[in-house]
Amino acid sequence: MEAPPVTVMPVTGGTINMMEYLLQGSVLDQSLESLLHRLRGLCDNMEPESFSDHELVYLLKGQQGNPFMLRARRSLLHPTAPWHLRYLGQPEVGDKSRHALVRNCVDVAASHSLPEFLNEMGFRMDNEFVAKGQVFRKGVMKVVVSKLLRVLATGNTENTEPLSLSYLVELSVLAPAGQDTVSEDMRSFAEQLKPLVHLEKIDPKRLM
Amino acid sequence: MGVTCVCQVPVAEGKSVQQTVDMVHKKLEQLGAVKQGNFWVDCETYHATGNTTGQPSKLLYVMHNSETPLSCMALFEGGPGLTADANFDVLMVKLKSHFQNAKGHKVESRGTRYRYCDFLVKIGTIAMSSSARGISVEVEYCACVIPGDCWNLVKEFMQSFLGSNTPELPAVFTNKAEGLYAPVDCTDTMSQYLELFGKVRKQQVIPGSGVR
Repeated sequence: MEAPPVTVMPVTGGTINMMEYLLQGSVLDQSLESLLHRLRGLCDNMEPESFSDHELVYLLKGQQGNPFMLRARRSLLHPTAPWHLRYLGQPEVGDKSRHALVRNCVDVAASHSLPEFLNEMGFRMDNEFVAKGQVFRKGVMKVVVSKLLRVLATGNTENTEPLSLSYLVELSVLAPAGQDTVSEDMRSFAEQLKPLVHLEKIDPKRLM
Repeated sequence: MGVTCVCQVPVAEGKSVQQTVDMVHKKLEQLGAVKQGNFWVDCETYHATGNTTGQPSKLLYVMHNSETPLSCMALFEGGPGLTADANFDVLMVKLKSHFQNAKGHKVESRGTRYRYCDFLVKIGTIAMSSSARGISVEVEYCACVIPGDCWNLVKEFMQSFLGSNTPELPAVFTNKAEGLYAPVDCTDTMSQYLELFGKVRKQQVIPGSGVR
């Protein structure tokens, strides 16, 4: 029952601005196995982790400007694990030669009262989906291969149907702001996955 | 986390806040309690902007406790609460156009932590804008999580050093359905602090309290 260490400033591990560097691509269902095989070879030697997550996208409409978006994700395989709340900022514009999409990222672990709490704050759920797949790691790089499924009845994750005939492949790194060597490393890794999958920087605005 | 009770001790007649705190410390040390470091609990207030319905905007309280330094608790008064990690503060900064931080409303309680057998006692000076506003006492009985089972013992212990200032069973426990259990994430403790801080905010400034 020793007192926990008390410092003058509260301990806040995440005050450094973290940026997410992202490259995305996709593979058709029939090519999945060859991609997984290559990833198993290239990535760190450990059992690839399978996941099945339910993600809800919440929007807060303000008086002006774009609505504020938050993504709340929970694991369907580990129902007692905390919810994962994620804020993603606008992609950083400018350097066209930068190889990856860079945006500010804030990750918060939260208790199970999250959906009710977000509603009380004024957020409204915009859409939801289920993502199932595998996670691979190579050093700080994370490769996620996932199948996105549409939820047919709100809140019912049992009844889903695939959104497409392909798998989404995402290569990402979470790093403090200002580390530009990260996108170089990502690009060289992405080269090794060609021609199975072409990972590129996809600007979300172009899709709207 | 055991059953926890948070109450306020009024400042003694003719004495300052610091002197009253010292008097309580002395009583605890005479009982045989051992000093075990410091503690702090703070509460920040955010209010929702952009309210188009004309209703008074909701107040969101974000609280921190040194017992759980990597967590924070967000509460709506009388509404749902959320326990999250320290990054929630960073998220509130991102939300500043929707939720404004009422900086002058920040209340905190800081003080010494004592251990007496299975009890943890924390005596804190409640301060708002660096002026002392009152004294908080938190008593935790670590050996039990069911308020109904140990309230009499906790009350008797509090009487030994608080005397007539001992409170009744906190409302958070009486409002629960049967099978009262103190939740592990200290929501009940933080709700009690929130209620106490609310009371203190409404009280007048104690004359002569000044800067600590």
